[in-house]
Amino acid sequence: MYVYRCEDTLESIFTAIYRVYEEHRPKDEVLLALDEEPRLFTEEMIVTADQERSGKVARTLCRRFGMEDYERICFALTAENVEKAQAVYRTVVSGLALREGAGYGRLFEGLGDAQVCKAFKLARSAERECCHLEGFLRFEELEKGALYAQAEPKNNLLPFLMAHFADRFPEENFLIHDVGRGIAGVHYRQTGSEAWVLIGGKGEKEAAVTQGMEAALSESELYYQSLFRRFCGEIGIRERANEALQRNLLPLHFRKYMTEF
Amino acid sequence: MEYMTEVGKMSVMEKLAILTDAAKYDVACTSSGVDRRGEAGKLGNCVASGICHSFASDGRCISLLKILLTNECIYDCKYCLNRRSNDVPRAMFTPEEICELTIQFYRRNYIEGLFLSSGIVQSPTFTMELICRTIYLLRTKYGFNGYIHVKAIPGADSEVIRQTGFLVDRMSVNLELPTADGLRNLAPNKHRKNILTPMRQIQNGITQNRNEVAVYRHAPAFVSGGQSTQMIVGATNENDYQILNVAESLYQKFDLKRVFYSAFVRVNEDKSLPVLPGGPPLLREHRLYQADWLLRFYGFRAQELLSEKRPFFNVMLDPKEDWAVGHLEEFPVEINRAPYEKLLRVPGIGVQSARRIVAARRSCSLNFENLKKLGVVLKRALYFITCSGKMMYPTKLEEDYIVRQLTEKEQRVRFGSDGMTYRQMSLFDDAGFAGNAEVISAQEKWQTAMGQL
Repeated sequence: MYVYRCEDTLESIFTAIYRVYEEHRPKDEVLLALDEEPRLFTEEMIVTADQERSGKVARTLCRRFGMEDYERICFALTAENVEKAQAVYRTVVSGLALREGAGYGRLFEGLGDAQVCKAFKLARSAERECCHLEGFLRFEELEKGALYAQAEPKNNLLPFLMAHFADRFPEENFLIHDVGRGIAGVHYRQTGSEAWVLIGGKGEKEAAVTQGMEAALSESELYYQSLFRRFCGEIGIRERANEALQRNLLPLHFRKYMTEF
Repeated sequence: MEYMTEVGKMSVMEKLAILTDAAKYDVACTSSGVDRRGEAGKLGNCVASGICHSFASDGRCISLLKILLTNECIYDCKYCLNRRSNDVPRAMFTPEEICELTIQFYRRNYIEGLFLSSGIVQSPTFTMELICRTIYLLRTKYGFNGYIHVKAIPGADSEVIRQTGFLVDRMSVNLELPTADGLRNLAPNKHRKNILTPMRQIQNGITQNRNEVAVYRHAPAFVSGGQSTQMIVGATNENDYQILNVAESLYQKFDLKRVFYSAFVRVNEDKSLPVLPGGPPLLREHRLYQADWLLRFYGFRAQELLSEKRPFFNVMLDPKEDWAVGHLEEFPVEINRAPYEKLLRVPGIGVQSARRIVAARRSCSLNFENLKKLGVVLKRALYFITCSGKMMYPTKLEEDYIVRQLTEKEQRVRFGSDGMTYRQMSLFDDAGFAGNAEVISAQEKWQTAMGQL
C-alpha cells in the first residue's frame, strides 16, 4: 500500500494523482490521504504541490472529459471531507481506464462504483450550494462605492463565487468574505473580468482581513435595503401563504446574512 | 384619474409598495433561457438555468424585480385587482425610477433582472411605447446587461412590440383564461384574437432571428429567452383536459417556452366569479404543473393523461402514477435493458435519473441499491420495475393493489409534506374541483378520486 499525504488544495491533490502515474504505482494499492493518521505496512509519500504537474492533470481532464466534468471534479474538491481526495483519485483512474470509451461527460458515468458515486455526491452538493449562494449572497455598498458581502458556505466555494460575480459586475470593486474560513476574494474594476485575488487564511492573515472590513456603509445603502424589504413583503400572496415551503426552498442557515430576513 | 394629481408627490417607497402589490399575481417570474456573459463597461450577465434570489412568504421564488409600470387601467376585467371600477390607490413609475431601482437592486444581488408589466394607460400602443422607452433607457444609458422580461400588451402596434423584442430576453402575452368563452365573460375588453396575434408575431420574430443568427453571428437577438404565457385556473369552469389541451397546442403551435398556471385568487367581489371557500385551487394548479412537465420533458401527450370522459386529474395520485396504474400492460420495465423513453414513463424515475441509468448500465448491471444512489424514488418505482429480471419485493401487478400501496399514508411523500397544502386531504376531497362545484356531482368526484371515470 502506498499512501500519498496531500494538503487540502486542488494543486496538491492533482500533483499526487500525477505522481501515482509517474511512479508507476499499482492503481488499486494507492491511498490519497488528507489526514495525519499513521497506517501499518504502508509506504508513505509527502506530496508538495507542484504547479506544472497539477496543470498537466487539469489539462488532461479537460481534454479527455470536457469542462463540465472537470468543473465537477473541482467542486468535489471544495467539500469539507477527508475522504474526498481518494474518491476523486478513484474517479479519475476509472475514467482514464475507459480508454477508447473516454469522452466528454463520461467521467462520472460509472455511478455503480462506490467511490465514483461518493465524488459525484460531494460535487453535487457543492454545486447546489454554489447555485444557492449565487442567488442568496447580498452585497452592501460601502462609503466609497465598493460592495461587500459575507457568507459562511459549507464548502470552500469562494473561487467559484468570485468567478461568477467578476463576470457579472466587471465595473464594480467588490469583496466577498468567507467568514467561516477567514478568507476573502477581492475584485478590482477596470482590470478585466479575471481580475480578482483571494486573500487571508488562518491566524494573522485572518485578522488582517477582518480589520479591513470595518468601513462604514454608504448613505443610500439603508434606503435601498428598506426598499427591498418592502418589496419582499409586498410580493407574497396572503391567500397562498406557505412558510414551510419557503423554509424548504430557502433554509434558515442562509438567512443570517440576507437583507430581507 | 383623480389620483393622478397625487402621483408627483408620491415617494418611490410608496410607489414600489403599490406597484409590487399590483404585480404579485403575475406568475411568470423566471430568469431562465439565456446564457450571456458579462461585458466590460456594463452591468450584469445571464445564466441559462436562471437564479432564484429569494423566496417570498408564499414560497414562490423572487428572481426578478416584478413590478408594474402603472396600475392605472382602462380595462375592466372582472378578476383583476387593478380594473377600472376598483377604488384602489394608483401610482406610476417614471422610467428613471425603474432604471435606478433595477440597477441598485441588481448591484446588491437582490435580483436577477427586471420583470415589467403594466395596466393599460390611454391605449395599448401608448402603454407598450412607455414600456419600450423604459427598457431602452435601462439597456443603453444605464448599461444594464441582465435579464429583462416584459409583457407584450395585446392590441399594441406590432412595430413597438418588435422594437421591444430586440431589447428584452423574454416576452410574454397573457392568455388570461384557457378558453375564448371564459375570456368573453370575465374580460370583456380583451379578445382571444388580439392575444394570439402578438404571440404569433413574437414566435415568427424568434424563428426569423434564429435564421439570421445562423448567418450573421452578431445579428441582434430577438427575445432570445423565448416567450411564455399564463392562464388563470379555476375562475371559469373549464376542466383540466381542456386546459392541458390548450397548453399542449400552445407548445406545439406557438413554440412557447413555458405555460404558467395560476390558481384563481378571488380579489374582487363580483357575481360572475366563483366563490372558493377552500382558498385558491392550489392542488389543481400543482397537478397541472406536474402534467405540464410530463408534456415537455417526458414525451407524454395530453390525450394520454386525460380524456373527454375523464377530464380531471386524480386527487390522490400524480398524473404519471395515474397513467402508469392505468397502463399496467407496459410494466414491469427492465432497468438494465429498457430504452430511455420507457424509463422516463416509470413513476419515481425522472429525467436526471433516467439519464444516469442509461449511462451507468454500460459499465455494470444495476441493482436496487444502485438505483437508490442514482436518485430513483424506489417507494414509487418498485411496483413498475425489475432489475435483472427480479422485482424488489414480491408485488402484485394489479391496479387496486398498487393504488392502495401508493396512496398509503406512511408509504407516500404526500402533497403537503413540503407544506404545499392548505388542509388535510381525504378520500372525498374536492379541493381540485372547487371552481367547478356546480358542474360535477358528488358521485363523479368520488369516481374521479378513485380513478374510475
